[in-house]
Amino acid sequence: MRIIPQNQFDRDLDIHELLKGIDQKKIYPALKKLLGESVRLIDTKGNIIFGQEDVTKELKRLPLTVQIEPVAYIESEDEENIGGVASLLEQLLKSSERYHMASDLHIESVHADYEKLQKKHEALIASEIKYKELAGNLEQRVQEQVKTIDTAQRQLYQAEKLASVGQLAAGVAHEINNPVSFIRSNLSTADDYVKDILQFAEQFNAGLDIDALKSSWQEKDLDFILKDFSTLLKESIDGADRVKTIVADLKDFSKVDSADVAIADLNEVIRSVCNVARSQVSQNAELEQSLNDLPNIKCQSGHLGQVFLNMIQNSAQAMKQGRGKIKVSSAFIDDEIIIKISDNGCGMSATNIERIFDPFYTTQDVGAGTGLGLTVSMDIITSHDGRIEVESQKGKGTTFIITLPIRE
Amino acid sequence: MAEYDEKEQKLTIKLVYYGPALSGKTTNLMSLHDLIDPQLSGELMTMETKNDRTLFFDLLPIGIRAPSGLLIKFKLFTVPGQVAHDGTRKAVLSRTDGVVFVADSQTNQKINNGESFQNLADNAMRVGLNFESLPVVVQFNKRDLSNIVTEEEIKERWGKTNWPLHFSTATKGEGIKETFESLLHLVYLDMERRFKLKSEHGLDEKEFIKSVMSSTEMQF
Repeated sequence: MRIIPQNQFDRDLDIHELLKGIDQKKIYPALKKLLGESVRLIDTKGNIIFGQEDVTKELKRLPLTVQIEPVAYIESEDEENIGGVASLLEQLLKSSERYHMASDLHIESVHADYEKLQKKHEALIASEIKYKELAGNLEQRVQEQVKTIDTAQRQLYQAEKLASVGQLAAGVAHEINNPVSFIRSNLSTADDYVKDILQFAEQFNAGLDIDALKSSWQEKDLDFILKDFSTLLKESIDGADRVKTIVADLKDFSKVDSADVAIADLNEVIRSVCNVARSQVSQNAELEQSLNDLPNIKCQSGHLGQVFLNMIQNSAQAMKQGRGKIKVSSAFIDDEIIIKISDNGCGMSATNIERIFDPFYTTQDVGAGTGLGLTVSMDIITSHDGRIEVESQKGKGTTFIITLPIRE
Repeated sequence: MAEYDEKEQKLTIKLVYYGPALSGKTTNLMSLHDLIDPQLSGELMTMETKNDRTLFFDLLPIGIRAPSGLLIKFKLFTVPGQVAHDGTRKAVLSRTDGVVFVADSQTNQKINNGESFQNLADNAMRVGLNFESLPVVVQFNKRDLSNIVTEEEIKERWGKTNWPLHFSTATKGEGIKETFESLLHLVYLDMERRFKLKSEHGLDEKEFIKSVMSSTEMQF
């Protein structure tokens, strides 16, 4: 039996289709028994389906109808019985039609569902191929992404460092400028003093009498000049020393650049940072230190220094109502180094606290801060297996608590 | 989708009775078979049923001859109404030239009617029919029952649509011919446009409907 899936179940079936599944070898002999040797079945085009070609006798012909039009004709010389046999054949063909229609309808509806499934299947295969490709490339793509993130992070650190160094430079310039300008002024005064002393020396060498020399001494007030000269020099030496100290501190601080892991005393790092930062924050706050002995730890001291500087700068920016106080303390408790930076500034709201470590989050005016300082600080402390906690109360102040474990 | 066989001079028109389960689609066809007397009338073929529910379809073939000799054959189908047989319903609806939507008037069938009508619109689209232009007639059946939605309410809801509305009691043969005539009217307009029934085959709408509904001419 032939099954053609695209057969429409509601098409008209011809006699050949209707006879499919019916054994003609049995039908024809049965009909011959009923209606005699002359019986013939003829399709609507006049072709003989079974029966003899050459018929000499007169045959009676009846149509076989399953719906409304004939699908075939039966012929026989037996006029008496042909009607009953035709009716029997019609019932047989109708039964066959029901079977074919039901089976074609079934195939048609299954085929439609199958087509739908096949389309789904194709889509699934396509997406499977895509995922296979993706999985193959995954390793490589992850590495590329890691590289990109790495680069971006390095750039981030660099940007943040530049920003804090820039702020620092402004403070340091002011601090150096101060002694340099009074040294310059002192030297200028000293120059005048030397001129007066030279004049007196010329009078002395010219052999003026003692009274005249005395009156000239008085006139030039050389007693004061000599006393003041000494003070000027002493002041200038102090000033020069101050510049020397600042430069030395800066040199220490310039180790910020070094990412090397080394054994360091964090108190030293704190002192160095405070010395550099003091000048910068002096307008806003007094910087106090309360440092207790700490064990030396293996760390990236340059990076930690940057963290402390960030915290101090952050605290200084919190001083919005007059000059305040910033206190940096260190302690070693339960195998952990605890460094606290607290201020009595404006404090933060709970929503601000939640976000302060987010990149580019800043409460400052645009351009005043990068919004990266605390983010970078958190990254640095995390990479030292440490943590940063924040305690803050609006209007009362903020305390950053940095906890670092002792690493082997 | 009507099939026109020029060589055989035969035009086959497929019409489908659609609707929710047990709304009376098969009863419509049985009743129609008793009520009309077309030029050519076949027997109603009812497919395997389980507890009197249609599993595949019912088929009533009827036919008329146009003055030109053209045989116009109508195949009236019912779909299985049960939700589970949607695949079969879709296949039966394929290639149809018109639809009688048989709704159940009972108040508790409102949702089933709505869902089935939506299913008709969806399936029409799925088998590639343009539902907007497809001849559709709506019939509210079982008007003889007591717990039914009032005509006023149904008219309020369906009267504003483009689909002709009919009320029927298929078990008593009431409203069955009217519904079918109403669909024939829409189908004639469509066939006339596509196959020039009047100018080429000499068949006008009045004769078209009359030949289907009651004929005094002889069969084959």
